[in-house]
Amino acid sequence: MSNEQNDALRWQLQGLRRELQPENDLWPGIAARLAQAPQSASEQPKRISAHRFIPWAMAASVLLVIGMVWQVMPGSTQNNPQTSPLVLQQAVAMTFDYENALARMQETEAHPEVKQAFGELDRSAAQILTAIDRDPHAVFLLEQLRRTYARRLQLTQRVTMT
Amino acid sequence: MFMLTAVMSELTHDTTIPEVAAETDAALAKSAAGGDAIAFEAIYRRHAGRVHGVIVRLVGAQGVRAEDLTQEAFVRAWQALPKFRFESAVSTWLHRLAVTTALMELRSRRSGPRFDEDENAVDGLGVADSAGNGTALSMDLERAVATLPPRARAVLVLHDIEGWKHEEIANELNMAVGSSKAQLHRARQLLRTRLGGEA
Repeated sequence: MSNEQNDALRWQLQGLRRELQPENDLWPGIAARLAQAPQSASEQPKRISAHRFIPWAMAASVLLVIGMVWQVMPGSTQNNPQTSPLVLQQAVAMTFDYENALARMQETEAHPEVKQAFGELDRSAAQILTAIDRDPHAVFLLEQLRRTYARRLQLTQRVTMT
Repeated sequence: MFMLTAVMSELTHDTTIPEVAAETDAALAKSAAGGDAIAFEAIYRRHAGRVHGVIVRLVGAQGVRAEDLTQEAFVRAWQALPKFRFESAVSTWLHRLAVTTALMELRSRRSGPRFDEDENAVDGLGVADSAGNGTALSMDLERAVATLPPRARAVLVLHDIEGWKHEEIANELNMAVGSSKAQLHRARQLLRTRLGGEA
């Protein structure tokens, strides 16, 4: 088999690498098994105290809800006049919960050197939220907000883990 | 509005989508590692398609069985997350876990071609297979891959579709690097035969 033939075959084979969603929603079955599947012990030398973990978990949960809202919204890459403002309002309300959770963690745990970065991200998020209030149909703003919180999570993670 | 525009511009240009996805994955994985099932559901929603896809490519689209393996892979991920050190992307880690889960299934099968016994069978299928005698001209590529013997299919899928190196494949399949290369050569030859030399 020549190299050209191999290349042609590999090119075609690479086209088979695609996502394939299960026909059924597997999450209910997975969730049922998680309750009976204990997680292995962490290898991290430093155990995270409960008061540090709780807001962190809350933040991630809120982020994922925002992400899911983003994913299920039709036409999420552009303004969509069919989008319900109520969905956006709920997302915005959740982001405030997220902000509050992070603020509590920042108040007690944040290193002074990163407080400025936190402040800049807070201001960016606030500006985007204001823009959402003005135009609740502008779905792209939700994505911008999600990116801002993703950055915030990453930075917060660095602070809390060091 | 000017400030908002500036913020938008900065966020758009400074952060690519894959980076944001990786950051979000890592944040969710850290929460899930602490027992947050909601965060883990988000990981499932984000990666079910990729995980299920590679499992189907390795074991074949056997409906419920492939879905069982996808479910199994995510349960294993849940159990192993606390030991995940974030030295690779969460998506990469999940992909490898899916491959391992699928290969364990192939090794344990009691019916059909045995994963550990088809080394010689590949040679016997090199020119003309018993089902199609090399005349299945119209067989599409995906179906042709699915009809390969398990070990040859695993090597071909991992190397040519998933992009693994022979060293990685040999380690995962517990074979010599040379055997991996030989299996790939034969798998390609089988494919070309079954596709009627059109690939």
